[in-house]
Amino acid sequence: MKKIEAIIKPFKLDDVKEALNDMGIKGMTISEVKGYGRQKGHKEIYRGAEYIVDFIPKVKMEIIVDASQVDEVIETIIQAAKTGKIGDGKIFVLPVDEVVRVRTGEKGVEAI
Amino acid sequence: MLCETPTLFFNQAGHKDVFSEMAQTALEPKNYSGLQARRQALDAYWQQGVGGNALLRKHSDFIDHHLAESFKKSAPAAEGFALVALGGYGRQELYPFSDIDLMILYDPAHKDELNSLVETILYPLWDTGLEVGHAVRTPDECMAFAAEDFFFRVAMLDARLLVGSATLFGKLTEMYKKAYIEGRRQEFLDDMLKQRTKRESQYGRHTYLLEPHIKEGCGGFRDIQSMVWTAHVVFGLKDLESLNEAGLLSQEELNRFEQAQDYLIRIRNRLHYVSGRKNDQLFFEHQKELAQAFGFTNKEELLGVEHFMREVYTHMQTISVTTDLFFEHVEEVLKGEESSKKGKVLEPDIEVKHGRIHLVNSEHLKEKPKLFMRLFYQSAKTGKPLHFRTRKAITAKLHHIDDKQRHSRRNAKLFLEILLSAKPFSVLEDMLDTGFLTSYIPELAKVESLAQHDVYHVFTVDRHLVQTINELEKLREEEVNIYTVISSPHILFLAGLLHDVGKGHGHGHAERGADLARQVGVRLNLKTDELDTLDFLVRNHLFLSHTALRRDLEDEEFLMRCATRIHSPGLLAMLYLLTIADARATGPTVWNDWKAALLLELYLKIVLLLDRKDISEQEQTRSAELGARWIREKVYELLPEPDDIDFDLYSDDYLLSFPPEVIAEHITQAKKLKKQEVLFSHKPNKESWSILVMTKDRPGLLTRIFGVLALHNLNVLAAKIFTWADGTVVDTIEVSSAISESYDGQDWTAMGNELHLAIQQRLGLEFRLSRKLAPLRNKPQGVQQRLAAKVKIDNRASELYSVIEVFSEDRIGILYDITKTLSDFGISIYRARISSKADQIVDVFYVLDHDGKKIEDPAFTNELQQGLLYAVKNV
Repeated sequence: MKKIEAIIKPFKLDDVKEALNDMGIKGMTISEVKGYGRQKGHKEIYRGAEYIVDFIPKVKMEIIVDASQVDEVIETIIQAAKTGKIGDGKIFVLPVDEVVRVRTGEKGVEAI
Repeated sequence: MLCETPTLFFNQAGHKDVFSEMAQTALEPKNYSGLQARRQALDAYWQQGVGGNALLRKHSDFIDHHLAESFKKSAPAAEGFALVALGGYGRQELYPFSDIDLMILYDPAHKDELNSLVETILYPLWDTGLEVGHAVRTPDECMAFAAEDFFFRVAMLDARLLVGSATLFGKLTEMYKKAYIEGRRQEFLDDMLKQRTKRESQYGRHTYLLEPHIKEGCGGFRDIQSMVWTAHVVFGLKDLESLNEAGLLSQEELNRFEQAQDYLIRIRNRLHYVSGRKNDQLFFEHQKELAQAFGFTNKEELLGVEHFMREVYTHMQTISVTTDLFFEHVEEVLKGEESSKKGKVLEPDIEVKHGRIHLVNSEHLKEKPKLFMRLFYQSAKTGKPLHFRTRKAITAKLHHIDDKQRHSRRNAKLFLEILLSAKPFSVLEDMLDTGFLTSYIPELAKVESLAQHDVYHVFTVDRHLVQTINELEKLREEEVNIYTVISSPHILFLAGLLHDVGKGHGHGHAERGADLARQVGVRLNLKTDELDTLDFLVRNHLFLSHTALRRDLEDEEFLMRCATRIHSPGLLAMLYLLTIADARATGPTVWNDWKAALLLELYLKIVLLLDRKDISEQEQTRSAELGARWIREKVYELLPEPDDIDFDLYSDDYLLSFPPEVIAEHITQAKKLKKQEVLFSHKPNKESWSILVMTKDRPGLLTRIFGVLALHNLNVLAAKIFTWADGTVVDTIEVSSAISESYDGQDWTAMGNELHLAIQQRLGLEFRLSRKLAPLRNKPQGVQQRLAAKVKIDNRASELYSVIEVFSEDRIGILYDITKTLSDFGISIYRARISSKADQIVDVFYVLDHDGKKIEDPAFTNELQQGLLYAVKNV
């Protein structure tokens, strides 16, 4: 099992969610995060006041899937989240040792 | 309640009363002497509809009875011991899962008997799992403990002797009275107010929180008790009735207060049952169940639970306002301010005294109703609150506010000045609490105490609106740079106060609110441009926050459209501040740094565009022009005989939609059209095909193309529809097989032939489709609920065309049905954007009617809408 963490642009959340639903991904965790990568923060000056945007708002999605699904999920996220401009985001894949469903105690792929 | 003479509640006769009363009920458990049976017995009463105070009393009686039995069993020396009930149990108010506050009072001379008594009394209580608060003390120990514990001092006010020595109990109460009541009125009040403030900071200053705490929260039971205790200690008044007799509460106030109290008691009983534990907070998940239990059903415009919560908030508000007024009164009495000399006259009938605004004679409100607004105006101007008696007078005389007052220019001017004063929030809060606000602006009465059953809205709508003013007040300081751009700040504050006035009638509250706000604005005598600004702000108050979250903030074209729509930096600044104030006033989950950053980014991008709009527009056009010129050059290079080509045929729009190679291909192919009526080709993509159809434009062409595609089981994924200036149609359509994603048996030759026939009007599309497609309708799997189809016709989105948007569930042949309907109405399609997402289609058509004009006639618009809705639903 793997955990896929995707950092995407906030306005792409619905598209990505829908695309993942369509391919049968049933659950995910979403959080509002801030950060920067190559799309560095920037400074705007308006009427003499400086507005510094050092961390840029993004959405982080976390999805746990069976290892066999990883490529498909990644492809789906890229398709849905891509605008072709800087700041489209990143995808990380991490190993997951175990998944347990709290209600039933089920383990492994069954519990995803 | 403190007993002047110890109440020997539990005499022998008392037992009998309880017994005989119980014997009358059919569900009476046979053996109720055991505490185990207590719950069953209470449940039985509950089932039979015994509620409210009666149930509390029954519960308390059960426990009394049990304790008296235990006491008798232990049979200690009669003069050495007393069982005392404290707190809620002392008041005989036991809710299903309330704590039982018990004190064993003993004479130190009988200490040796103490152990066995304690065992007999307390062990069975513990065994049944009851929450028992217990203490074993001598009268002296009680006094020592009272000295350090405020809660015990207060609990002693409700001490009640259950069984045992009246002398011992009497001794304690005498000592207590001497030490803590007589001559200690001010200290008591100070303690009480300190606790009240502490509760407010812990549970919130508002009665209208999302999940109100009906015991500790503002307007809850603690408020009621604090008032009763204080009345008792300060004035020697023992119950609400005597508060009325003493003139502290009017009859009307008393009635409303008692109603509210009764309502809360019923809720608390039910809440304990629903939660199965001692729970006094009306949690979100319980609200629906309680609403149902109290008989509220869902109405078209208002959920049952929202209606229920509205009642809860109204009652808690009554309690909160009444106790607030009461405490102000008590403070004044104790300070001896009442009798002091005359205050400073601010204007005839209004003076200021001890830091509060007073109405000199409340009867004058009748003859001079302009005094209502003058009072609030003086409060705003001086920054001093209205005296509680003046607030009471305003509430009592509200019926004197008539249409004349509501249309008065003088009132309007003062009202707007109040909005722009240094601290408008507290004045508006007073206006709302006294009921003046909804009398003066009746449009707001519809949202009074209106709850919204979701997890975002912490406040009821009326509170939220006043809270928005609070946030605007703060933003005026925090965002000085942006605030100074605004030329008519009073309109911003008015928009803040009115932005949700359209709530409570289902969808479209912003539009409805804008109309209502305009109506209010007219009464307030606003100028036309002010009215337009107000209308715009209310109508669009969700625009920025929606946009910041849902749109690509790097989409220049979209940002330009925003800039065009908002068109002035001042208006944008107002909308931006209103958006922040609205979000902050909604609840803690709605506003955070993350959203603030997104919203700021959007604001800055639009404002920078607005500030240099002219340059930017030129840049935009120039870059498009440059792009088109570059493509022309490329195409020129690609073509074998470029000089024969008239490049004026191709719009920039078209040129920018395809790569140069594809355009060159189109141009080359078009030459064949001299010999051949229709050109058709297809190219496979991954799981879809691109189809190119070129021919001369003619009415109903698109319909026929889509019809043939449907005949061949092809779903349209996307389409680009262009017409060159010489009438050559270039349609690029992305299709996929409706049979399966990897279907490879598509008969392209047959399809090409049929396309020819159809375009030449030699194919019976309608009958073929109805025969062939019936079994092949692409039913979405697993979607139980049908998506509601929607048709929007917008004349503002594009300068040249009417834009028709069709939202519907996808099915094969749907585009045929839509375009056929359009063609039946004589409508020409100039451009189209077809897209399907999951099971839904969103199709956009740029169209003109048969006269080449936009579709503006309302009757025709409606007819067309209905026609299209019928077409998409026609399965």
